[in-house]
Amino acid sequence: MKKIVLLLSLVLLIAAPSAFAGDMPTMSKDELKSQLGSDKMVILDVRSGRDWSSSEFKIQGAVRAPGSELAKWSANYKKDQHLVLYCA
Amino acid sequence: MKQSFFLSLALGSGWLLCPESLVIAGNSAGQLGWLTLPLLAAVAILFVVCGKLLNNPLLPATDSKEFQILQGITGTIPATALTIAACMPLVVLAATALLVTSGYTFNEVFLYWFPNFGFSFLLLALLTILQFFPEKTIFRAQFCFVALAAGGLLVLALYGIVGGEKAVTDVLQQPVGFSSTSSALLFLLFVGNTLSGNRQTPSFLVPLAGFVIFFLWILVSLTYVSPERLASSTIPYMTAAKKIMGDPGRQIMGVVVISGTCAAITGLTLLSRHMLAKIATGKMTIGLLSEKAQRWFLPPLIALITGSLMATGLAGDELLEVLLRGALILWLLYYSFMCLSALICINKKSQPIFLPASICTLILLVSLFTLVISNPHTIEICIFIFSTLGISGLLAAIWFLINKKLNKQMEQTA
Repeated sequence: MKKIVLLLSLVLLIAAPSAFAGDMPTMSKDELKSQLGSDKMVILDVRSGRDWSSSEFKIQGAVRAPGSELAKWSANYKKDQHLVLYCA
Repeated sequence: MKQSFFLSLALGSGWLLCPESLVIAGNSAGQLGWLTLPLLAAVAILFVVCGKLLNNPLLPATDSKEFQILQGITGTIPATALTIAACMPLVVLAATALLVTSGYTFNEVFLYWFPNFGFSFLLLALLTILQFFPEKTIFRAQFCFVALAAGGLLVLALYGIVGGEKAVTDVLQQPVGFSSTSSALLFLLFVGNTLSGNRQTPSFLVPLAGFVIFFLWILVSLTYVSPERLASSTIPYMTAAKKIMGDPGRQIMGVVVISGTCAAITGLTLLSRHMLAKIATGKMTIGLLSEKAQRWFLPPLIALITGSLMATGLAGDELLEVLLRGALILWLLYYSFMCLSALICINKKSQPIFLPASICTLILLVSLFTLVISNPHTIEICIFIFSTLGISGLLAAIWFLINKKLNKQMEQTA
């Protein structure tokens, strides 16, 4: 039984890291706060499905733009606009 | 297996207290207003009547009676297919959805620095390891999960009624609306209540407990949150908890969500184990399906599929909601067929059919139909239901053939 428990724990531990985010250029909460209200900044909530529906935290004024539909919504924004994407 | 009153309650209430049920209750309350309360009572009564029908003395009295009832009317392969299709997709899809919700709740309510998916995987690992323990230990853990979830909801509800600033009687002055879809959704609150259904367990136990808890919770939710907000919110339970008690309310709801998730996954895994074991005792005697053997292969298999679904991003896809709704409808289909088979079985024995049970079965079938046609993804749900039934049928036929061969070999050896 111990072997099975260990094996199972190992499988789950191996699978878990894929769920964590990789290295991405980020911006701090304070940086975002200081830029809120700027005309050129658009906050995009790229979460979809349960990632979005289960979360209690949704930034006011953020536009929903699911990551899977990037091609669809990216055309709506100008190149000089500052797009802030958040997913968690 | 001799079960205590509280244990039967804990086993059957797993799904009842999970975040998905809280969303269904909150959204339905938003749509229907206080009309949700009498409708909830009607649904609970319907499940009591159906439970009574399945406990009829003219039907098989064994542990595998549910499978036997279906088998007697439809035959072994269709009964096996329907049983597999009702339990396996539900446990895997519900586990995926609920673990993700719990991960977010833990991250947002308790520890910001802890990754939400990290918590979901950790919980999955712990709940899978729990399944390797003896049944007595699993039952104790399930009792704790259910007690925590029900206790949290009751504390919030009673605080809202007694200690809050608003009077619950104001709810009666709110406008009401009727929606057949929202009413049919209430049936999904009682998924899995058959787990506690041995003959010693009164059939009113789980429906009554569900009614009491949700009656209080819906009443308080409608008192503190506007119906429009309840109807449109994806987390109506958290919105209500915050309005009732502020930040402590959020934390209590956080405990309810996580323990409700544990209760639902443990309850549904046990339900799958028992349902497959029922097939094993109902002539499908492959060793792998026996209750003892399953303990070693079924929970890791469920964990592996659930973990893969989470890691491949199904949680972030709208498809998960469609599949989960399809799986819940499949369970309702299984339950309706079981009641229908029980009615036919009693009728075959030249006994008069219990009229309320016939009406309740008819209502179950109508609600099933309503849930399918009123969903914006009707076609996808139908494809999911028929393909699941097809795959389950194929699996059942293969198992049946292997079983036949094995039995023949055993007879020749003897």
